[in-house]
Formats: sequence, structure tokens, C-alpha cells
Amino acid sequence: MAKAFRSSRSDSMKPKLLAIFALIVVAPLALLVWIGVRGAREQRGLVQKRFDQLLMSRIADAKSRIDDLLSRRETELLRATESAGLTTADLRALVRTTPAASQAMLLDPEGERLHPPASGPISNAEREFLLRAEQIWRDKHIFFRPSDASARMASDAQTQSPPQTITQSEQSQSATRRRFVPRAETVDGGQGQTFQSDQLAQQAAPRSAAVFKVPSVSRSHGWYAWYWGNGVQLLFWRRLDSGHVIGIELNRARLMADVIAAATPAEATLPDGRVRLLDSKGDVVCQWGAYRPAKGEKPRVALRLDYPLHSWRLEHFVSSAAFDAAFGRQQMANMMGGLAALGLVLVGLAVYFYRESSRDLREAAQRVTFVNQVSHELKTPLTNIRMYGELLQENLPDDDERAEQYVGVICSESQRLSRLIGNILTFARKQRDALKLRPALGCVDDAIRNVLDHFRPALESKGVQVSFAPGAPALVAFDADALEQILGNLFSNVEKYAANGGAMNVTSRQDGDRTSITVADRGPGIPEAQRGAVFEPFQRLSDALTEGVSGTGIGLSIARYLARLHGGDVRLVPSHAGACFEVELRTPAAS
Amino acid sequence: MDRFTHKRLAPIAIAVIFLAAAPARADQVKLNVALGHPVLKADKKQTTYLKVGLTGFHLASDSERPPVNLVIVLDKSGSMQGDKIRKAKEAALMVIDRLSRRDIVSVVTYCDTVQVLVPATRLSDKYAVKQQIRQIQAGGSTALFAGVSKGAAEVRKFLERNKVNRVILLSDGLANVGPSSPYELGQLGASVAKEGISVTTIGLGLGYNEDLMSQLALKSDGNHYFAENAADLARVFDRELGDVLTVVAQKVVVRIVCAPGIRPVRGLGREVDITGQTITATLNQLYSDQEKYVLVEVEVPATAANQTRHIADVSVTYANMQTKTTDRLASALAARFTRSEDIVVRETNKDVVVNAVQQIATINNRKAVELRDKGQIQEAKQVLKLNTSFLRLNAVKFESEALKDYANVQELDAKGLTGPGWAKRRKEMRATQSQVERQQKR
Repeated sequence: MAKAFRSSRSDSMKPKLLAIFALIVVAPLALLVWIGVRGAREQRGLVQKRFDQLLMSRIADAKSRIDDLLSRRETELLRATESAGLTTADLRALVRTTPAASQAMLLDPEGERLHPPASGPISNAEREFLLRAEQIWRDKHIFFRPSDASARMASDAQTQSPPQTITQSEQSQSATRRRFVPRAETVDGGQGQTFQSDQLAQQAAPRSAAVFKVPSVSRSHGWYAWYWGNGVQLLFWRRLDSGHVIGIELNRARLMADVIAAATPAEATLPDGRVRLLDSKGDVVCQWGAYRPAKGEKPRVALRLDYPLHSWRLEHFVSSAAFDAAFGRQQMANMMGGLAALGLVLVGLAVYFYRESSRDLREAAQRVTFVNQVSHELKTPLTNIRMYGELLQENLPDDDERAEQYVGVICSESQRLSRLIGNILTFARKQRDALKLRPALGCVDDAIRNVLDHFRPALESKGVQVSFAPGAPALVAFDADALEQILGNLFSNVEKYAANGGAMNVTSRQDGDRTSITVADRGPGIPEAQRGAVFEPFQRLSDALTEGVSGTGIGLSIARYLARLHGGDVRLVPSHAGACFEVELRTPAAS
Repeated sequence: MDRFTHKRLAPIAIAVIFLAAAPARADQVKLNVALGHPVLKADKKQTTYLKVGLTGFHLASDSERPPVNLVIVLDKSGSMQGDKIRKAKEAALMVIDRLSRRDIVSVVTYCDTVQVLVPATRLSDKYAVKQQIRQIQAGGSTALFAGVSKGAAEVRKFLERNKVNRVILLSDGLANVGPSSPYELGQLGASVAKEGISVTTIGLGLGYNEDLMSQLALKSDGNHYFAENAADLARVFDRELGDVLTVVAQKVVVRIVCAPGIRPVRGLGREVDITGQTITATLNQLYSDQEKYVLVEVEVPATAANQTRHIADVSVTYANMQTKTTDRLASALAARFTRSEDIVVRETNKDVVVNAVQQIATINNRKAVELRDKGQIQEAKQVLKLNTSFLRLNAVKFESEALKDYANVQELDAKGLTGPGWAKRRKEMRATQSQVERQQKR
């Protein structure tokens, strides 16, 4: 029984404790984690940005190496064409001695092709070039000054081009996609003229996505890019002072080889990254870095090359490990460690508080258990003492006042003791939910009188005037034992705490199937703040109030519990002086 | 029997004229210009072969050889693991051993990416270079194009005309990163050849692309080898060094200007540029005591009997590696005409015709590979059978052991067209083709 008592008690305490635990541990921890994660995310974003900038600068480096190569090549070809003779033999010699070149072309100021010669013997390689560079022969006007070209092109456009069907949006789109804005070296002609020639050049060009226009702004040299076969083909062109245009077609494989050699850093130390150079088809031209990206992996950053290799791009991949390293996994770990430590401290604190509070509870429970056990053992001998005491009281000779007084004390004290024991046992049964009422027909006033009779001697001996105003004479169903226990607790409280008030007024009243009894005293009363607490078990009021008074602290709790079980309640009702308890019971009338 | 006994032909095939400014006692490349048929049938339009043979002079000692500027480009892709990479490393170490302090060497390895293991440097510390080579480990895919690109860039750092500039490329697999078509590699080869860099390609095992590897070598005038087993690498590298270390002339430009009426039909073997009447061929280098030649088929118009007709003027310029001068050789060719079939046969220059037969057979051999690639196995076999009998016939006619041997090769090729041995046979055929076409020492 004792065991059951304890466990049921701690069970009922658990949810509350858990809630406290959650409040102490989980809530602050969650808050901290939230703040930490937010901070980490912000930092991650920041680091990501910085990291991407670093990667970008790396591929921008590679891009600038490629740019350098192209401008170096441009310079070389400028120098080579500077002094070159313009005969077919000279141009062939130029091609033969220029490693970067695969073929050459020459246009006269009128745009007529002088080399490869239209008449006269040509080699197979030159024949192939003529086919390969078909685009150029159609597009050749763009090598000439816009003022010259626009007139020619205007007529070309009228006579040769099919009617224009490009919509404005298409046109502007393709213009932005295909066109390259050059670093104009010699711009001649006004803005309007340039624009006009621009448009005309656009119109005159075949509308193929594979065509890249060379600037129509006047330049004396530049790159011309077009697609042939597997990729982009480059031609360096230069308009000489004489008006001739000389062009050198680059050997594509050689260009690629040079780009690879230039782009690949000498010390390819990228332990966690991979840079790839992709051509216009998206094929890998070359790559470096020790990291091997998975198939389909997206690059972290990408960068497009400039004209004329604008269809190529550089991509930088990184392993997640590298990224984490940059992000500072250490930092993250530190933060997590800090949070974990804080969590531990909180848990420790919570455990400490839990142990403290549960120790109190346990101690009280142990006390009750002990008392409960003892009470049971005490009950039988006490009943015997009481029975024989009462027998003795009845059989005493009337003249022996002294003996009668002594026996009276024995009886009242044994009654008090049995009430105490009854309370403890009721409480124990309540804890086990083993309490059942046994209503029987009777008169409530009689039951009150009965209890009052028991208490009167003790109360009066302490100078308490007891008055009873009966108002519940009807025959109703109620549990007399329960009522006796309720009233007993209330009266004994008056005896214990309010005896100096000198009066106890009991009234009863019946209203339908409800019976209410008030017990008012003139004692010190109960402070407002503790009005709810008096009904809690093991609650006793201040030391001042309870000084010198013994008790278990469960009397009111038991009273209220029994009253509620009886379909009513025990309430503390406001009064002018002292305390006034009202007991309300559901007492169905006998039918 | 010997063609030199026909003294009266001497005035026809005019002697070599030395125009070079080099000291008279200095060694010169030997120029041998000859027609397949110095005496032609009269009154008939016909074709004959014009050969410009160039034989490198003898290199007396190793100290005379020009310094070498060499890059070893090693495939270290995953397929090279095990014996292959070990043997390749051994071969590379052997190369380092054979070179001297005057030489420049660099080592480039490639898998998915390219690493310049040893940047181009004068070979003063062999030990350090060898340590680097020993550390190579295989793994990854094959960025062949990038390997060659980077290798060529290393050679370019010390590019000099008086050095032997060479890339030695070893690969056992298909190029799967970067450009990978034979055409592109050929283009690259043609471009580096203009700088005087030759790329020697060594195909190892049966996994490499022989078209790509042979094209790269052909267009850059480098050697091409097929090493079936890793064990063959030592021999191949040794042979390659045998060439590299005996270069006597570089930047050899052969120019043949055909006389009016003579029509150049095609080049046989070595690639030539024919523009109008002018035939130009470039050889990157000549090796000591080895003959390389330019062979052209020309069409000669009908000419009356007993006439002498000017066929072509030949001029050759080259960089003499010993004297470090640019030397120039020139010669002219003429043909006589006769009605007598016998004289035509008797006067035939066997050496030239045998070379022509070899080259024509090689063209046929290429044709057979092409047919086999298209799946026309029977047709390919037929071509090779005809080729065999064509070679046998001429072997007998000109008493040539070389032609007989070559006929046997054709027979083997025909047998190898089917069955599991085809992959290997194709590599052998490609290797033989480029070796014959470039007169690579085998």
C-alpha cells in the first residue's frame, strides 16, 4: 500500500515537472540554436560570396591568360602582315612560316578576292579553305569602311537579300547575342552612319545562328569568327593603307593547343577544385585541379570568354570539402560545441531543480507513508481505548467529578486521534482512488449536532462559544461518515487555530437537493493570498499561525475532496472577521 | 646491273650542284635526284616517278650531334596501371640516361589533367629528373590533346633552330578529354612542324587510337611506333633515340619546279603541296646515314624519239646542324625518249621504281583499311590480295627483297582482317603505312 501510494503520487507530478524541464532546458536551447543557425546561415552566405569571388578571380585569371594569348597573337599577326608582300607567293610563304596560320586571304580595295587566286593554280589546302571560309566571301563587306560598305551593301541588300522578316525583337535579341562591341581604334563617320551601317550589316548577313559579326564600326584590323565543322574558326583581318584586306585564318587545333598551354597554370595546384575550359559545343577543351566532379555536377562559378572566343566558357567546380573548409567547419563545430555545453549546463540545472523539488515531495510522501502505516497500526488499539473510555464514562458514579473530567479528556483526545487517523487513511485511499461514498437516509442537522456534541467539551474548555442554527431538517440521502469527517476537520481547525476568537457559529440550510453548512469563527482569519493554498495538501499557513500547533496539513484538502466527491465543495467565503468555510453537498431528497 | 654503270646517263641526270656557302670540307647532305624511267617511250603521253632522295651525312661521334630539346609526354591514365607505367617509366629513365648535359629535357604527364612534372630545363641534374619520373603513378582518363599542347609549350621555351626539338608522346588509350579527332591532332602536328618541332607518337597496347597517333606523327614529321607490349617500350625508345640523337639537318625544304608541259600528278608517300607546276615538301629533319625521299608522280607529254626533255628543277634548302648554316642544293632532271621498249626497260631506275611500288602498295593498304572500316571485308581482302601479287610481281621484276618482304606483310594483313586479331593488325598496318611513307627506320 505504501508503495502504491508513492508511485501514484510521483506519476501525477511528472507532467508538471516535464513542462518545467522543457521550459528550463529546451526553450533556451532552442532559442540559442535558432540564433546560432541564423547567424551561421548569414555567415555562410557571406563566406559563400567571398568564396565565389575567390573562385571567380581564379578563372578570371585563366581568362586573362587566354585574353593575353589572343592579343599576343593579334600583335604577332599585325607584325607579320605589316611587312608581308601581297603576291600569292608571298602569302603562301607567310602561311608556310607562320605556325599559327592555316591559310591566308587577300581582298583588293573593291572587295575582289586576290588570294587564294580565282584564276591560276591553287593547292588542295587552299581549295578547302575557299569552301571552309564561304561565309567570309559573302560577308567580306564588313572588312571595309562603313561609308564605302554601306553604299555597296545597300544595293546588295536590295538585289540579293530576300525580304526581311526579322521582327524588331528578334533583331535586337540577335544583335545583343551575336554582336561584339569592339574597342574602336579609328572610328570614322557619325553615330547615325554607324547605326545605319550596323543595321545594314545585320540585314545583309545570312540569318544563321552560327554567324558572328565583326564590328561594323570602322576598325583597321580585328578578328572574324565563324563556325565550321566542330567549332569556332578564327580569321585575323587587317585593312592595309592601300585599302587591301589581308586575312590570316588560324589553325584551330593550334589555337586550342595554345589556349590550353596558356590557360593551364604551370603549378596546377588545386587540391579541391577543378577548372574546366569548354568550347562552343560544351566539350571539355582542357581542365586542371585534382577534384573530379561527378557527372552532371553544376559548376560553382562560370565565366564566358570574350570575343572572338565568346562561345567558350570557363567553369570552376569545387568539392564540398573545399567549400566546407572555406566556410569554416571549425567555426561551425565551435558553435555547436558551445551550444552543446550550454545545453549540458541547462540540463544539469534542470536536474538539480528536479531533484530538489522531488526530494521535498518524496520527503512529504515518506512522512505520509510512515504516518499512514503507523495510523493503521494505531487504529485498532485506539478504537479499543475509545470504546472502553466511553463505557467507563457512562458507568462512572455521578459524584466523582474528578474522575469524570479525566475520562472526558481521555475520550475527547482519543476521538481527536481517531479523526486524525481517519483523515490519513482517507487521504491514502484518495491517492489510490479507492474512496467510495456510502449515502444513507438521514437528517443533516442531526449529524451536525452529533459532531458538535463530540467537539463541544474540547471547544468550550478553550473558551469557544459554540452556536448552531439548524436549517436542514429534511430527510435526505448523504454519507454521514463523510460529513462527520468534513465537519470534524473544520471544527478541529477552529479549535487549533481560532480558539482565541471565542466563538464558532454553525448554520445549516437546505435548498432543493443541496445542503450547505457554514462554519464561521472569529479567529485571525486567512490572508487573501493564501485563500487557495489552504486546500492544497501539506499546506500549512505561516509559522505565526501554526506555531505550537501540530497537524498533518491535509485536513482541508480531505474535506474539500470528500465534499466534491459528494457533489459539492468546501469553500472559503468572505467574512467580516475570522474565517468562514461553507460546505455544500448534494443531498437528494428521499423519494 | 648497277645503275651507276650507265655512265652515259650522267649528263642527263645532272650532277648535284653545290651552291652552299659552307666550307668545302664540311659534310653535306647527299642529294640524289632521279627519274623512275630516265629513258621514256617516244610519242606517248605517260607518267613516271620523280624521286628526290636526301641522305644525311655520317655523324662521326656523339659529341658532334646537335643538342636535343626534348619533352617526354607520358600517359598516366588508369589504363596504364601496372606493368605499362612501370615499363614506360623505365623507358623514360633510359632516355634521360642517354641524354647529356647539353640537352634540354622536360617531362609532362597527363590523365584528366596535365602536369608539367619537369619543366623544360638543361639536363644538369639527371638524378632530380629521374626521381620525378620514378614518382609517376597511374590513374584517371586521357587528356591527350592537352598533354601534347603542354608538351609542345615546354619545348617552345627553348625552341632553337640548332637544337633537335621533339615531343615524344606515349599513349595507351583513347583521348577522351579535349579534342580527339585524327584531323585535329594532324592539324596540330602540321602547326608545330612549322616551328621545327616533331612529335613522335608511341602507341602502347591495343587500346589507343592509331589513326590519331599516326596522323599526329605524319603531319609533324615525327616517328610513329606501335608497341604491343610494355616490354617493347625499351626497344622503341631506343630506336627513337637512335634517330633523335643523329639528326644532321633540319628544316629541309624540297622544291621541285616542273618544266612546262610536265604535269605533277600526285605525291607518293610523304605529303607534298602541289600548286601549279611547283611541288613543295618539307621535312623537319634528316638523320645520319638515313635516306628520306620525296616521290612525285609526273605526267610527261608525248615527245619525239631521241629528244631530250627538261623535266624539272629541284632545289633543297636545309639547316646544317653541324655547320649551323643554311645550305642549299640544286639539281635538274631531264629525260630521253626512245622508240625501243627494251631500252626503256633496261634504263629503268630500279631504286626509284621500287620506292614507287612501295608507296603505291601503301596507298592500296590504306584503301584496304578504309574498306575494312566500312565493313567491306571481302573487298578489303581483295585489295590486299591484289597488292600482294602486285608486289610479288615487281619483286621478281626488280629483284627486290624489300618488295618481297612487303608482299608478305600484305598477305599477313589480309589474314588479319577478320577475327580477334584485327585491332592489333590495324595498329600494325597504320604503323607500317606511316613508316613506309616517311621512310622511318624499322
